[in-house]
Amino acid sequence: MTMEFKILDSIPDLTNLKSFTERYFSKRYITNVNGIKNNDIMIMFHSNRIALLSLAPSHFFFTKANDFKVNYSVGNVNRLRNSVKGKSKKGGQHLVPKSVVCKIEYDDGTSFDVPCCMKGTLVEVNEELVKNPKLLKECPDEDGYIAIILSSIAISEATKSEMLTHEEYLKVLDSFEIND
Amino acid sequence: MNDSKIIKLCKELGCCDTCCLRYIGLKSPAAYEEAKQFLVKYVRDKTEHANNVDPSTDQDETNPPEEIGPTAEQDKIEPADCANHSKEQDQTELADGVNQKTEQEAGSLQNDTEKTSCDRNGAESDEPPAKKQKTDSICVSCIGVLQEENWPQCYAMVKEVLDKKRYECDTFACALSAPIATMLRERYITLCLKEQFADYDADKLLTPLKEAWKWSFGAHLAAHVGITLDSGAVSPLLVTLNLEYPDDLQELEVLKTLSASLFESRSKQRQRFAVEFTRRSVEQALRGVTLARLRAQPAWEGGAPAPRAQARPVSVQAAHAPLYLGGRYIKLSRTLPQTPWLVNGLRMMHSSVQEIIFGPIARLYGMSPDETEYRLKFMSAGREDVDVRCLGDGRPFAVEVSDPQRTPTADELRRMCDEISEGEQVIVKSLVPVSREELAELKKGEETKCKTYEALCIKLSHTEDDELTANGDTAIRVTERDIANINSYRNSDSSRVLLSQRTPIRVLHRRPLLTRTRRILDLTAYPVAGHPQLFVVRLRTEAGTYVKEWAHGEAGRTRPRLQDALRARADILALDVASVDLPWPNTNTL
Repeated sequence: MTMEFKILDSIPDLTNLKSFTERYFSKRYITNVNGIKNNDIMIMFHSNRIALLSLAPSHFFFTKANDFKVNYSVGNVNRLRNSVKGKSKKGGQHLVPKSVVCKIEYDDGTSFDVPCCMKGTLVEVNEELVKNPKLLKECPDEDGYIAIILSSIAISEATKSEMLTHEEYLKVLDSFEIND
Repeated sequence: MNDSKIIKLCKELGCCDTCCLRYIGLKSPAAYEEAKQFLVKYVRDKTEHANNVDPSTDQDETNPPEEIGPTAEQDKIEPADCANHSKEQDQTELADGVNQKTEQEAGSLQNDTEKTSCDRNGAESDEPPAKKQKTDSICVSCIGVLQEENWPQCYAMVKEVLDKKRYECDTFACALSAPIATMLRERYITLCLKEQFADYDADKLLTPLKEAWKWSFGAHLAAHVGITLDSGAVSPLLVTLNLEYPDDLQELEVLKTLSASLFESRSKQRQRFAVEFTRRSVEQALRGVTLARLRAQPAWEGGAPAPRAQARPVSVQAAHAPLYLGGRYIKLSRTLPQTPWLVNGLRMMHSSVQEIIFGPIARLYGMSPDETEYRLKFMSAGREDVDVRCLGDGRPFAVEVSDPQRTPTADELRRMCDEISEGEQVIVKSLVPVSREELAELKKGEETKCKTYEALCIKLSHTEDDELTANGDTAIRVTERDIANINSYRNSDSSRVLLSQRTPIRVLHRRPLLTRTRRILDLTAYPVAGHPQLFVVRLRTEAGTYVKEWAHGEAGRTRPRLQDALRARADILALDVASVDLPWPNTNTL
């Protein structure tokens, strides 16, 4: 048997490329959180139930040009001090849908909270956003993710089904535009 | 202390010939093969020796038992000679007793009641001769385990199992699971010996029941099944015989009185000690037992109770040591997991490397799907993702076949490889039997080996110095400079690229969150003809490097990443393992 296998046998259709998050995650959305217009959150669920918290593209954050900082210190909790141990991620901060994961603070003194929108354990925050906040604006669905959250399969499935799918989200946005 | 006297006492207590040999500490396997004849000759030689030298002093008392020279004795065994002597009836009372027993057990009708009664306890001599003879014939120590009369049934059971399983093995080892009551009875005999002979040291002398059984029964069994008996350390085929004695538990009850605290504490810990009488618990209980306390128990007033029935074979297990087949697999599919991939009990992919390799092996051994599941085990030096191919010489793997009837022939192994490779998803070029030691190398290799990968990658943004052509063409192209940048990239003095990788999100649900340092030892990029935006990266990494995560960067969780070397955003489209640097299996058949 003479066989020569080359990696070049596997060039895919380049017109339909998916990004890293599009390949492995399902994106879910929630709009107008806490009744605040365009306070829109996106959670990306991996097939293994790990969730990445981000800002949805329709968030009012993306329309404001001011310089900003990401502050993971909320109330008396410093999310940067979060640490987890072992497979079960013991010791991670507990999060409920209303928990504030971080604050975005503008140079004009205003700020807004980023809510978690699900119940779970905080596994990791994106420390890079503290040093390099523009990632949040430039690539919110990749390097600009805000936090990694782990919850049970049941909670993760329930949250996922309560939130909007990408198609539903686009429809909701359309209806807003018409209403405006 | 004198062997003849020990034998005499053992006989009086109701031991069989083989047990007598055990109690005098004989360790010569050959002696046990024909224990009766050996004992007759042994006692005769002892007696003559004692008479010839000096009747008033007992020569043997100064001889340590080791010097009895069992090996020398075994050479002297001449069955014909022994048989002659047994007819002569010219021995001492003791030898007569032995001879008489031999004849009795051989089924002779001749029954010298007078002689029988003198070596048995008086209580039973009132009983009718027929019944008495039957009870007498069961050894009070081994409960018949070592008595040939009980063996034919064992031979038949072993033969049935071996015929059914059809091993192609020239040797076997045998193991015994004897009634636990034999431990209690053995303890009684040794306590009696110790009472009579103060320097009797059972720990040193007593030949274990299992050993005596192997040397006596095992040797005869070999002749019946037609294969050679060998030690368990040598022969891969182990035959285990379970003998049961109906009164086993009932007899052991006495230990609950003699060692009350032990069994009380055990019964309080039911979770830990589900079974009351185990070899271990009985051994512990027996440590503190004295002759006086044992004799104070009603059942033991008149010595060891005569067994009501013999220990009988109830089951036989035969098992062959596992066979390990080693080879290397090439995986050509990007939709094939290494092992069955199940989510909530549902299969995610049509097959797996494991199942494709198991197929022909299971067929050779005629295994049903259920049997395949527990008799075949897949092992490999690491694994690749479902969508990653494994090329080059492939990845080392082994299959453990438990209880194999035989080792496949070279021809059969070749045919198995052909069958595995037929579907062109998995290619195995050769399969060879490998040893347990080699298997350890395979597993160790998982943590130490380096691997070479090829990754098909795409450039997703312009580098800062990309020149945009005058006609406004903004297409992203991999330039010569990009290739040069990757090929000259280095971030550490000690190695080519030092990575800091967080546990990838795809495994984070089942592994702790850690940041690991891994090295890329070698890194080369080249362009792809006809696809200006693509490039191939060939890299050699140490074990445990997550290559896909390095290539796409996993949202910055692996640093540095490919985009740092390219100086533009990048992603991975496909990955192949080009080689697994572990020369295994260690043969030149590849």
